Amino acid sequence: MLIHLTMEDLLAVRDGEGSALARRHLDECDQCREELERLHQRVAALKALPSLSSPRDRWPVVRAQVLTTRRRQRRKLGAWISVAAAASIALGVGVGGLITPAADQPNSLAMLMEETQRLENVLRSFQPETRVLNGRMAGALAALEDEISLLDARLARARSLRVPRDELVVLWSERLELMDALLNVHASRSTYVGF
Amino acid sequence: MAETMTAAVDDIAIQQAKSGDINALEMVYRAYEGAVYATARRICRTSEDAEDVLQETFLEVCCSMRAFRGSGAGSLTAWIKRIAASKALMKIRWAKYRETDELYEDSARQEGGPDVGLRMDLEAAMGRLSDTSRAVVWLHDVEGYTHEDIAELMGKSVSFSKSQLSRAHVRLRRWLGEEPRC
Repeated sequence: MLIHLTMEDLLAVRDGEGSALARRHLDECDQCREELERLHQRVAALKALPSLSSPRDRWPVVRAQVLTTRRRQRRKLGAWISVAAAASIALGVGVGGLITPAADQPNSLAMLMEETQRLENVLRSFQPETRVLNGRMAGALAALEDEISLLDARLARARSLRVPRDELVVLWSERLELMDALLNVHASRSTYVGF
Repeated sequence: MAETMTAAVDDIAIQQAKSGDINALEMVYRAYEGAVYATARRICRTSEDAEDVLQETFLEVCCSMRAFRGSGAGSLTAWIKRIAASKALMKIRWAKYRETDELYEDSARQEGGPDVGLRMDLEAAMGRLSDTSRAVVWLHDVEGYTHEDIAELMGKSVSFSKSQLSRAHVRLRRWLGEEPRC
């Protein structure tokens, strides 16, 4: 009794991996050759299927996501820089305080930095990157995050230029206000979705 | 005809995209969106899933472009193609949680009536295969992936990929009403 090639055998022959026995059988068997031809035709038909295109342009969504991701990364970096700046300024203030104690608002700068850091920690606990936002909310957050990034750049510059303490207090006050606003937006979103 | 990944972006645009230039990234998107969607749509069961794959693929492309080590359009094509295939397979794996793969194939067969002598067009027959079998057929026979590639992408063995392909062809042959062999 003649045993025909299985589909697995035919696929192996097609892919150039068939055994010598399978190839010899194919030479002798019309039915199996026809089967192999049908396999070729089926694959050719698959390759000839019409191309499908996306019903919607997804680039605007991808672009928005990419920009949001970048903004978030910048903000994380900014937060890290501000923490580093706070640490170095605090150290400077501490050492300077031993030599020439600041006459006015001795703790305001340290307190502002401490409070900003506290808000950063609260914000992290909200896990903002895992939240789904509507367009308006995302826009408001993006604007605030941009402002904070700009302010972080000004703070970094102020630190490198060793600007007077009063100016630093102003900058850190602004940062604290922005952080507060950012946190309020996230908190209202959290309340809204019931977390 | 099934769109293959032959789109090309010139080397300058690739370098700009690697530096994060959003306009260059859009050029990459425009060059490959058709091919990525076509592959995703052939593997995924719904157009919504395929659109998700398109979006997820390009989000990863845009965010990881800096890490792309190749330089020419050929290696970019291979890189994007692999991300797209991986995302599509992830999508069907996720879909398995929503419905049992084999169950779908069995119930579809019941709805379609008796197998012998049944004629249907190729697209319908492909749609009737299990998600895994359909993905293997498409990736191997149309996109040109090797069984080794597919096994790696699916986290399965080479023999799993081979047996899925063989099983799928047996079913396609039957559903397409081709002459049963003796």
